Amino acid sequence: MPLAVVDAQTLVDAVALGAVYALMAVGIGLVFGVLRLVNFAYGQLVMAGAYTLAFTSQFHPVLSIVACFAVVIALSTAIDLAVFRPLRGQSPAVMLVTTFALAFLLQAIARIVDVRDGTIGEPVRVVGQLNRAVSVGGVNVRQVTIVAIGLGIVMLGLLALLLGRTTIGLHMRAAAADFRTARLLGVRSNRVIGFAVFLSAVLAALVAIVLTVRRPLVTPAYGLHETIVVLVGVVVGGLDRLWTATLGGFAIGFATGVINGVLPTDKTIFLPTAVFTLVILVLLLRPGGLFVPRGATTVERV
Amino acid sequence: MEVRHGSVAAVRGLSLEVREGELVGLIGPNGAGKSTTLHAVMGAVPISAGEILVDGVSVAGRAPEAIARSGVALVPEGRRVFASFSVEENLRLGLAARRNGKGEEALEEAYDLFPMLKESRRRPAGVLSGGQQQQLAIARGLVACPQLLLLDEPSLGLAPAVVDSLFATLARIRERGVCVLLVEQRAQRTVALADRTYVLANGELRATLVPADASDTDRLVAAYLA
Amino acid sequence: MRRLGPVVELGGPVLLVVAAGLLATVVSRSTEIYVLQAVVAVAMVVAIYVFVGNSGVLSFGQISFVAVGAFAAGVMTVPLALKGTILRDLFPILRDHELGNLSSLALAAVIGAVLAALVGLPLMRLSGLAAGIATFAVLEITNNLLREWTAIGPGATTLSLVPQTTGPGQATLGVLLVIGVAYAYQRSRFGRRLRATREDPAAAQAVGISIHRQRLGAFVLSGALCGFAGGLYVHMLGSISTGQVYLELTFLTLAMLVVGGMTSLWGAVVGALSVSALDSFLAEAEHGALPDGSRLVVVGALMALVLVLRPSGITGGRELRL
Repeated sequence: MPLAVVDAQTLVDAVALGAVYALMAVGIGLVFGVLRLVNFAYGQLVMAGAYTLAFTSQFHPVLSIVACFAVVIALSTAIDLAVFRPLRGQSPAVMLVTTFALAFLLQAIARIVDVRDGTIGEPVRVVGQLNRAVSVGGVNVRQVTIVAIGLGIVMLGLLALLLGRTTIGLHMRAAAADFRTARLLGVRSNRVIGFAVFLSAVLAALVAIVLTVRRPLVTPAYGLHETIVVLVGVVVGGLDRLWTATLGGFAIGFATGVINGVLPTDKTIFLPTAVFTLVILVLLLRPGGLFVPRGATTVERV
Repeated sequence: MEVRHGSVAAVRGLSLEVREGELVGLIGPNGAGKSTTLHAVMGAVPISAGEILVDGVSVAGRAPEAIARSGVALVPEGRRVFASFSVEENLRLGLAARRNGKGEEALEEAYDLFPMLKESRRRPAGVLSGGQQQQLAIARGLVACPQLLLLDEPSLGLAPAVVDSLFATLARIRERGVCVLLVEQRAQRTVALADRTYVLANGELRATLVPADASDTDRLVAAYLA
Repeated sequence: MRRLGPVVELGGPVLLVVAAGLLATVVSRSTEIYVLQAVVAVAMVVAIYVFVGNSGVLSFGQISFVAVGAFAAGVMTVPLALKGTILRDLFPILRDHELGNLSSLALAAVIGAVLAALVGLPLMRLSGLAAGIATFAVLEITNNLLREWTAIGPGATTLSLVPQTTGPGQATLGVLLVIGVAYAYQRSRFGRRLRATREDPAAAQAVGISIHRQRLGAFVLSGALCGFAGGLYVHMLGSISTGQVYLELTFLTLAMLVVGGMTSLWGAVVGALSVSALDSFLAEAEHGALPDGSRLVVVGALMALVLVLRPSGITGGRELRL
């Protein structure tokens, strides 16, 4: 019985990892919805936020966190203006490979900035106290785990309200469903796209804060691996809808957490193989997306 | 309002205008350039030459959303309602083009004009019949309070009885003082309804007809096939 | 003039590669390695082009096939006498056999094709964009296994003592073979069908072309050529570690393809040679004045710039014409 070896500790950690990946999936999915652009450079927004936290470690935590949000939002907006805007109307493949280049460009820049003091990597101390454990119903849980799960639930709830109940949310959904018609009705494309880019940056900053608690040493490759995992998760869930993409992100985080708990300690080095093999098996069975309702038509977007 | 297309193959040297309170028809065979004309007005396809004036102000070269917000609403071909959104959400999308408030009043007016929509305001637009979806698309255009309403083949795919009520609706819209440019395939009904009807063929203006011509089948056929 | 078309289309890339090969024989030893690297890069980029260029589907996974090809060819050509000591954990069948240069290259191609067929079968059923992203899963699995599983390779350590048989001669001949196969494929009816699905998937399906089957075919052929290029690569370097055939190489080879022009063989060759030249120049500069990492900044910026300003690449994605 696989369930017997999964204890509550593992499950809670898996849910927390799933929550972080779900937030990243939403950040990627929001921009994909309005631009049909898969942002491979999303991890570098997280990386920039993490570096900001590291470089402002000597300040008050609130100041440090505010700086983190400011830098990520500014970088995200700059990318939208300098890269996404000229790319509008290009094929999804061209846009994806451009953001791939952008990711490496930002990573290389971070490397140059980082090694000025002679070493690679900067530690974040701001939110380290969240690493303390608390006992919840007999299970030892790190505070950051609770924060991650709480943030995931709150942010997804807020987002659902925003998309479902506000005018800008309605416009974003319309733009995602049929951008051409939405514009003909007067939905302002720059505003909708700018807002999606802004929201995805806010989520990236939150992810940066949570991740740096778990892994305080920030390096240029920070967030790169997570982005790859989340992108694959988003594809497994179903790229065409925000909620299936989000579930896909959660699922791959949750699966990673559970498999990590199930694997014998000397076999956890094969965790990526186990997770991605599972991905390929799922895609074999559900090529349209794990959470896409059967029979729903998927649009071929080469 | 004036539209001219210089060297565009689809529509050439076209000049037409819709005056205050008028309903103007635009008919012609498939591929004549009728839809292209509407899309050009909306800024969805670029014009290579010429001018588009709304209330004397040139809107050529502006983005579609800017043109929508300057008082031109399009009821697109195939209705293009958002099937998974509720009827009310679809209507609220029409408010995107409004610059002033009073959106709620506009919604109420639209519900008065189309009581059916009020009954199904919470249902997804995709479950409505074709005729109901057409009403929704027209209402969505009207809530923007446009000075000019463009309709792209609204009767396409509708049952004959539904077409009757559609044309009655269009007449009522004209009574409300909205300028209408109606692109249609149903030549005779359009000519009978419209104050003036332009006939377009191969991207060029072929003839201008008045309501009296509607009963003159020979003249209609001549205008179409000349 | 029309009959000259194929001669020019194939002749242009061949002449460029031969010129580079000849260049390698006259320059100094330290420059030779850069030239050889550029020539082998052509093999990789053309191999990737066979799938990405003809199908229009982006793949981030082709370097996995380069990696398995490189490690297969490398592990099997390390002299038996040394294998027992440096690769003790290998499966006996790998540990107790040794292959020659040519058969190791053939093995690299076969193993690349087999792996590509295995993963292509499920992945090629996805829509284009999803398929491209899902190929990351292949790259991650390959890298993870090669790095951690010491029964199939050196694990996290560097595999060294591989015979350095890829000199100017083998590099040039090997690349010419890859170019020849790629050209023959794109002129074949299979290549034409796949390009039809790239231009208009709906129309291609309407005339009875199976997108899945055509993509899978190109994916497997690309896998074979990638594996072969990996074999050339390891025999040029003499040693290899998993980090050398992972994300950075994926990025560099894609940059070459994109800068040259994704949809033509000529673009793949021109892109590989020009970006390699720039890359080598910057690598030299990093030893001197420039800070570490500037190489990737410049290549990344160049790639992004080309994509924004001229998405079809410097050749416009067209074959060479007179």
